[in-house]
Amino acid sequence: MSEYIPLQAEIVDIDIESSNTYLISLKPLDGAGFGYKPGQFVMVSVFGLGECPISITSSPTRKTLQLCIRRAGKITNGIMDCRVGDVLGIRGPYGNGFPIEKMKKDIIIAGGGSGFATLRSLVNYIVDRRSAFGDVAVAYGARTARDLYFMQEYKSWQQAGIEVGITVDIGDESWKGNVGLVTALMDKFRLTAGSAAICGPPVMINAVAKKLMDKGFDHSDIYVSMERHMKCGVGKCEHCMIGPYHTCQDGPVFSYDKVKSVL
Amino acid sequence: MKAFLPKDNLVPLLTRVGGYMEVVAPIKVEGVPVFASWSGEFLALKDNPLLSPLEFFLPQRETLFRYVQDSGRYSFESPLGKVRLVFGIRPCDLRALTVLDSIFGSYPLDQIYFDKRRSTVLVALNCSQPGESCFCERLGSGPSCSDAVDLQLTEIADGYVIETGSPAGILILKAHPEFFLEVSRSHLLEKDELMKQAKEAMKDRIPRSLPEIKEAIEKADWSSLGRLCLNCGSCTFVCPVCHCFTIQDLGVPDGERIRCRDTCLLSGFSRMAGGANPRSNRGDRMKNWYLDKFEYIPQRTGLLGCVGCGRCSKVCLAEMDRWSLEVRR
Repeated sequence: MSEYIPLQAEIVDIDIESSNTYLISLKPLDGAGFGYKPGQFVMVSVFGLGECPISITSSPTRKTLQLCIRRAGKITNGIMDCRVGDVLGIRGPYGNGFPIEKMKKDIIIAGGGSGFATLRSLVNYIVDRRSAFGDVAVAYGARTARDLYFMQEYKSWQQAGIEVGITVDIGDESWKGNVGLVTALMDKFRLTAGSAAICGPPVMINAVAKKLMDKGFDHSDIYVSMERHMKCGVGKCEHCMIGPYHTCQDGPVFSYDKVKSVL
Repeated sequence: MKAFLPKDNLVPLLTRVGGYMEVVAPIKVEGVPVFASWSGEFLALKDNPLLSPLEFFLPQRETLFRYVQDSGRYSFESPLGKVRLVFGIRPCDLRALTVLDSIFGSYPLDQIYFDKRRSTVLVALNCSQPGESCFCERLGSGPSCSDAVDLQLTEIADGYVIETGSPAGILILKAHPEFFLEVSRSHLLEKDELMKQAKEAMKDRIPRSLPEIKEAIEKADWSSLGRLCLNCGSCTFVCPVCHCFTIQDLGVPDGERIRCRDTCLLSGFSRMAGGANPRSNRGDRMKNWYLDKFEYIPQRTGLLGCVGCGRCSKVCLAEMDRWSLEVRR
């Protein structure tokens, strides 16, 4: 069968995650299984509107497949107009995901804005396989407190022995936490040179990577999840090329040394 | 297997084959040679048409599948393929298909492309008289076929020397023995001599060599070239290796998902939802096009992404010197 024909998945739950973001839980129809790795993505279809790449935000160690949808364009608007019981098309999973086997045991996870969606998959994976990892820290920044994702989960991460730092760019009276950059959060962590997983705007990725390298991280141990425009997801249409790499097949996770020239 | 096809037998042979499969051949449409469905029209075999037969493998527009909705659930229908014979593909365009086979065949395989590829018999025509802007000889993709093909023809004085390259090619010979004669030693010698002359004819052409092209790419002033480039995408639409495409849906609640050819030279090609665009600069897009052909595609496939057909120079609206990449002031 053609790679372009999607699997159908029913929306079984919709949660409001932030001011412009929904957390959508999906169940593939006809009991079809759907295996994946943290850091992979799916091509999501709203039939009649088209298809776009969305990173998987759930961990494969948990039952439900979840996508975090931020209102950004035609198709994400279409997804957010759906109701529980509606069907979306999904193709994939595509991409390489985070190279967990290759990564060191001590991991720092740094996310900015909606880029944190793909990192939550890795965080919950680590929570569920805690003994396989060493010191783990999460640094996450969003524009305002209203833009923070997954607030109800931070406590469970801390209970699993993960250091969690949250910051916002613009604070207000209701916000009692940190205000400032993700890199400032990282100063508070006891960082031992291990591996890193980063996703966010390019300027944030560069700042975090620089800080980590100053602390003795090797650039090949810093993994960055990249965002690119995609159409096919299977390395043919050429929309997502970064130099010789296809983000959809060779990425979206690259070691920092491979992509720093385009960041 | 080799055979000889007298000139007067070509049209009767194609007519016979056309009785059981679609024959595509270069014919003149409004005075311009194009590959199109053939039913006895005059065969325009002198020059390679401006558009390669890529249209029959990756059309400007094609249906990937139809979606039909019933009570909120969908069923999908794939279009059915067609059995075809493409007559008159040139060695350069054949090389382009070999490159595309490698790209579309890498995991996960593009079934829609290969459905067409597998149901098409390819009959190539070697270039005993290369066109004026051809430089295939420089890049090893012509003027004779060096890639897998079902049948290849070389025109000599009173007919065609035929060489088979696959079981499908042999079957065509075996199914229609009445059109073919045994090939003689003098036919073969004549063919070899013609192809040698064809190679000679391209000796003094520009670009002079592959290293010269690579050097020009390295030295190019991309921001100046970017200002000259009109971003029309013409070069990418005539290139037999260019295969960028986009996918879109037509119809609610039932409809079809189609793919259309796209081009990496257009400003919106890599623009993401939200507006960020990693290749927003014209010079960057042009440089990417060249690097893809001479670096990235070779890394992926082991073959050059340029076959030396010269079409991009012919159609460039900015009349850029596509190979020296010098900016004339």
